[in-house]
Amino acid sequence: MSALETPGVPRTSYYSIVWRELKKDRLALLGLWAVVGLVAAAVGAPLVSQDQPFLYVETGHWSSPWLRGLFDRLVFESAVDIFFNLLLVLAPTFALLRFVLARALGKSFAARQKRLAQGFGVAFVALFLAVTPATIGGAENPLHYSHQVQNYRLQLAAARAEHRVVYAIFPFHHYSYHETNPAESLVPPNGEHWLGTDTEGRDVFARMLYGTRISLSIGVVAVALYVFIGVVIGALAGYFGGWVDSALSRLIEVMICFPTFFLILTLAALIRERSIFHVMFIIGITSWTGVARLVRAEFLKHKGLEYAQAARALGIPVRRIIFGHILPNASAPVLVSATFGIASAILVESSLSFLGIGDPTVASWGETLNAGRVDNRLWLILAPGFAIFFVVTVFNLVGEGLRDALDPKLRR
Amino acid sequence: MKAYVLRRLLLMIPTFFGISLILFLILNLAPGRPGAQQSADLSQSMRGEVTAESYKIFREQFHLDKPVLFNTRFTLSREEVRALVSAAAGIGQTTAAERVHAQEELEDLGASAVPHLVSLLDAPDPKLRDAVTYFLRIDATRPLITPFDPRPSPDVRARNRAINEENAELRTLRYRTEDDAATKRAVTDGWKRWFAAHRARFEHGARDKLAMFFFDTRFAAYWHNLVRLDFGVSLTSREPVTRTLVSKLKYSLTLSVGSLVLAYLIAVPIGVFSAVKKGSRADRALTLTLFMLYSLPSFFVATLLLYFFSQASAWESLRWFPIGGWQSSDASELTTLGQWRDIGWHLVLPTICMTYGSLAALSRYMRSGLLEVIQADYVRTARAKGLSERVVIGKHALRNGLLPILTLLAGLLPAVLGGSVIIEYIFGIQGMGLWVVDAINQRDYNVILAVELFSTVLVLVGLLLTDLSYALVDPRIRYE
Repeated sequence: MSALETPGVPRTSYYSIVWRELKKDRLALLGLWAVVGLVAAAVGAPLVSQDQPFLYVETGHWSSPWLRGLFDRLVFESAVDIFFNLLLVLAPTFALLRFVLARALGKSFAARQKRLAQGFGVAFVALFLAVTPATIGGAENPLHYSHQVQNYRLQLAAARAEHRVVYAIFPFHHYSYHETNPAESLVPPNGEHWLGTDTEGRDVFARMLYGTRISLSIGVVAVALYVFIGVVIGALAGYFGGWVDSALSRLIEVMICFPTFFLILTLAALIRERSIFHVMFIIGITSWTGVARLVRAEFLKHKGLEYAQAARALGIPVRRIIFGHILPNASAPVLVSATFGIASAILVESSLSFLGIGDPTVASWGETLNAGRVDNRLWLILAPGFAIFFVVTVFNLVGEGLRDALDPKLRR
Repeated sequence: MKAYVLRRLLLMIPTFFGISLILFLILNLAPGRPGAQQSADLSQSMRGEVTAESYKIFREQFHLDKPVLFNTRFTLSREEVRALVSAAAGIGQTTAAERVHAQEELEDLGASAVPHLVSLLDAPDPKLRDAVTYFLRIDATRPLITPFDPRPSPDVRARNRAINEENAELRTLRYRTEDDAATKRAVTDGWKRWFAAHRARFEHGARDKLAMFFFDTRFAAYWHNLVRLDFGVSLTSREPVTRTLVSKLKYSLTLSVGSLVLAYLIAVPIGVFSAVKKGSRADRALTLTLFMLYSLPSFFVATLLLYFFSQASAWESLRWFPIGGWQSSDASELTTLGQWRDIGWHLVLPTICMTYGSLAALSRYMRSGLLEVIQADYVRTARAKGLSERVVIGKHALRNGLLPILTLLAGLLPAVLGGSVIIEYIFGIQGMGLWVVDAINQRDYNVILAVELFSTVLVLVGLLLTDLSYALVDPRIRYE
């Protein structure tokens, strides 16, 4: 397309305008930074709170249980954790590689940047699949049950008592999110357990921190799934019209009248061994109607526009017209609705785990909140409550900012 | 207008049908057999045939023995039945799970397996023959007609008696594995004689088959009851679902409709106020507060309110409200007025929790809707005419500004119904929401379906009311 550009006029794409508008909205920017912070917390959680020491030195024997534990399904039961741990290891590696390549290649680096990013993505997914064979379906993976997880805190104390020379460097907060300790159940917040412990003696701070991973991945995956379904159905209905539209519109209508939360509850309860992926999937397949209606309306508007007619006249295949030409132009409202959708998906997940219909193996905020309700302990109510509130607010803020930036009518 | 309402009402039927179909399929095709827990309980207490028979009766009563959507059992072949019987009897290589599965399937087949079983009576393998006789006894016995009818008509009673007599006779057609060949032969001959006498019952013409294909199914049986507003019987409490549903309605509807009405009543003035005072400090404070409220999860607020302001509160001076429930345990001793006050006292916290979320959403929409309208030409005209601000806003702008929040009603209804699940769970109010959570945990399929279908109807009606209220507010909209 660059041949068609008028020289001297800077090329401003639609999204660069949106970005410029968004930057003026201080609250939305704040929200965006908070999202960055949440992602950082999710990725860096093991750096802050983990019961495996970074470094363990005993009589000249060095080891790093922390690093080994990152990809051990006994230490990190859920595949979500494995995903974020892989990100934790690979993101700095990729950044370093990029830096080195940029220095080495000089100007030709810019041209290859996109290919490189794609390469990183593919490498990441491949490694994730390699590290977590048979990921989905919980922790029943014999590969990962080859050894016992050691309690290094106890080991250290024992060694000290025997006057052995042992060095260990722990993360700042040396508790994992799933280690239970009946002796320390329902301990109020103190210097050791910053946010106290829950009924089973698990450290609440660690659970909150790792809960970020669950919430973010629930939000992103469920929304990605339903945006995909909604876009396909909405695009087909809007572009083709006629009986396709009537049939799909009826389907959308039927789905709208569904008591969605009941449906989600039922589906979640019917699955015997629920994992967090089931919850994502269930939220994804039940919430696509909003996106489908939006996309349908946009396609109805766009398919008659000149560029779409031109594309048709040029004989471009229908699939490419729909997904390559019209969809990028129709995607703005979807982006807004997806941002709000992340907030509501997180809410639905925490409601489910609040009701005890979530994945019991992961650190979910709703579960802790329910424990606080049952045991009537304020620290168990406040921490997860504000965590959910914070994440939901942040995504709603970004959503509002995006909506205002996209909608010229609301621009001040 | 009437024609429009009628058309919409008629359109609801296919939508409702579609929803019931999807829900039904989800529930019935989900892993785990409905009522399987019952059978497990039974098999622990009583072993053997009694279990099999009572479990079969249970399944028949709830139509669980029938195929879900389409009945193709008339195409069953003798070889298929032979394979099932062999698997059930453990002939050849079968795992325990396969055996149980084959047994259950054979029991479910009922009458459609009978002709094939009879023809297998002469099979050469004695083990197979034993199994065939066993399953014949189970499959040939017939269920009673309308077993839950407390006062059956004389005709039904007579037919039930006949069925009972025949069943009793068929139950005697049995032998033990260790019996001698002559006894076995006698029983086998008895079965053959019985089948020859009742052969007509098992032969179907093309029209019968077509009817069976569509109507001898779980879904058809369910709909057959549904059109009479009969949601069946709870699998756990054995009480009619419809009656329990009606008794639960007063809790759920009071909560959800009450909080919706309250939300609209408060949201409209707030929205108007902040739209009129746009940009002022009060508006900004309101907008921020509403935004916060909008993002606050209701279960968090409910838990906090209970922690601070209920009887369980750590501060004695703050123990204002009960910890939950619908009314006090000694409510029956109060006067009628006292009872009402008691219920109101119990409902303060749940209503707050259910209202503030939709309140926040509604007033935000009200504000932006009104802001858009205020910029319109006709509002400027009204001002230019010298009308007072009260008339301009209250009469000219408000009506059009109401449109967006009316649209929201349809969207809020399912959310409110869903939200009531959590609120009822937290406050221990025995409404539909808590009921359905219990039912889901116990796999009480009839209850789950009933509650979900009922709330579907509520949503459908809500959608219709929304569209009709457009016409009330906006005279330009007419439904022809």
